[in-house]
Amino acid sequence: MIKLLRIELYKIFRRPRTYISFGVVTATAFIFQLAMGAGGREFIEFGMQDVSEQFNVQGNIINGYLVAYLILQSLLIQIPLLVALVAGDTLAGEANLGTLRLILTRPITRTQLVLIKFFASAIYTVLLITWLAIIALFLSLFMFGDGDMINLKSDAFVLILKHDVIWRYVCSFGFATLAMTTIAALSMFLSAFADNSIGPIISTMGIVVVLTILSNLELPLFNAINPYLFTAHMVGWKGFFDSIPPYSAIGHSALVLVAYTLAFVGGTIYYFNRKDINS
Amino acid sequence: MRRLGIALLMSIVCSVRAMAGDPQQLYYALRNKVLSVKDYTADVKMKIDIDYMKIPQLDGKLYFKSPDKMKMVRKDGISILPKKNINLALGSLIPPGDVTVIDVGTAVLNGKTLRVLKVIPEAENTGIILTKVWIDEATVMAWRTETTTRDEGTVVMELTYGKYTKYSLPDKISIIMDVKEYKLPAGVTMDYREVPQDKPKPKEDAKAQKKKGSINIAYSNYVVNKGLDDAIFADPKPAKK
Repeated sequence: MIKLLRIELYKIFRRPRTYISFGVVTATAFIFQLAMGAGGREFIEFGMQDVSEQFNVQGNIINGYLVAYLILQSLLIQIPLLVALVAGDTLAGEANLGTLRLILTRPITRTQLVLIKFFASAIYTVLLITWLAIIALFLSLFMFGDGDMINLKSDAFVLILKHDVIWRYVCSFGFATLAMTTIAALSMFLSAFADNSIGPIISTMGIVVVLTILSNLELPLFNAINPYLFTAHMVGWKGFFDSIPPYSAIGHSALVLVAYTLAFVGGTIYYFNRKDINS
Repeated sequence: MRRLGIALLMSIVCSVRAMAGDPQQLYYALRNKVLSVKDYTADVKMKIDIDYMKIPQLDGKLYFKSPDKMKMVRKDGISILPKKNINLALGSLIPPGDVTVIDVGTAVLNGKTLRVLKVIPEAENTGIILTKVWIDEATVMAWRTETTTRDEGTVVMELTYGKYTKYSLPDKISIIMDVKEYKLPAGVTMDYREVPQDKPKPKEDAKAQKKKGSINIAYSNYVVNKGLDDAIFADPKPAKK
C-alpha cells in the first residue's frame, strides 16, 4: 500500500497543474499582503467604524495575525477549487488517459485503489494548507510583525492577546485541512462518475458555491437545512478565533465533516466497485 | 510651638468647614484638587465589559496630561480607551469654568456619608449638561460622579481611593456608560454560526439593558506631576487623508 501511495503521490506531483495551486496561493496571499500594507488601515477603519465612534483603538492593529486571518477568509473560498483540480483528476484523469483499466489489471482491488487515491489527495491537501500557513501566517508576521489580534465579527469585536493566538492558528489550520479533505473526497466521488476531469472539478465548485450561498443566506427556509450542509461546517475554523471558542459546536462541525468525508469515500468505493471500466 | 501648631490645625479645620458649608466653594475646592494633577503615569489593569466587545483584561501603562490627553500603552499590544467626554480622568467629567452648584443633601455610599451636589456648567460648549457629584467633605474627594453629556449619554464613575489620596487619585475606578450598537453585515464577515442555531434570541428589554457597558480599572505605581512630553500622546500612524 505504501508503495502504491508513493506512486500515486509521484503522479500527482509530477503534473504541472499540481503546482498551479501552490502558485495561486502564493500570488493571492502576496497581493493581499501588499494591499494591506498600502491601504489596510483604511480598510480596517471602515470595519471598525462603530467601535471607533466611542473608543480609541491604538497599537499595531494591522499585524501579521490579522492579515493572515483576512487571507484565510478570502482564500478558503477559493481553495476548494485548487483541491478539486487534483482530487477531481484522480479517477477521471486515469480514465481519460486510458490507464485505469491497465492499473486494475495489477493485483490490487478497486477499494484499495480508491483508498490510495483518496489518501494521496488528502496528503496533497495537507501540503497545500501547510503552504498556505507558511505564506499567509509566517510571511505576514515577517512583513507586519506580531501583536494582539482583532477579529471583526458581525455582532462582536473580539480582541485576542498576542500570547493566545498561535495555538488558535494551529487548530484552525488543522480544521481547514479537515474541511478541504471533505472537498477532496467529494471531488473524487464525482470523479468516479466521469471519464474527463473537467466535469468533476466544475461540479465540485458548483456544489461548493451553491451550498455556500445557501449557508450564508439568513432565510428561515435555509436555516432549517443549514445544519445538514457541509459548507456551513467548513467555516468552523473561525470558531477558534472567538474569545472563548465554542468547542462543542466546532467538535460537532468536525464530526459532520468526517461523516461527509466517509460517505463520499464510501460512495466512491461502492460505485467504483460496480463500475464497468471501459477505458 | 505646640500652641502655634494647634492654632494652625484649627485654622485648617475651620476653613474646610467653611468650604463645606458652601456647596459652590466645596465644588471649586474639589475641582482645584483634581486639576492640581497636571500629569501622571500609572500601571493599569483594565477590564472592559461591553456586550459586543469580547476583550480580556488589558494590562498596560496609562499616560495622562491635563486637561484631556490620555494614552494607554501596551508592549506590542493594542490598547482601547473611551473617546471624547467619556475620558478616564475625573477632570473631564466635572464641568469646567463658571458653574451653578445645587446642594442636594447627603447620601450614604459604601458606608460613607457624602455630600451630593448637582453642578450645571454656565458655558454651553463644554459637552457636559449636568454632573452630580458625591463628595467626602472631610477629604474633599469625589467618590462618585454621574455626568450627563450632550453626545455620549450618561456616564457614571465610581472611585475607590487608597494609597494616592494626597493627589486625589483613585486606586480603582468603575465607569458605567451608554454603548452604541455594533453591527457588520454577516455576508461580509461570513461568521461561523454555531449549528444547530437554537440559541434563544434576547428579548428587547434585555437587549436595551445591555446597551450599558462598564469599564473597571485598577491603578498602581502612580508617578505624578513629573512632566510628560506631548509627543507621547501623538498617534504613531496617523490615518492618511
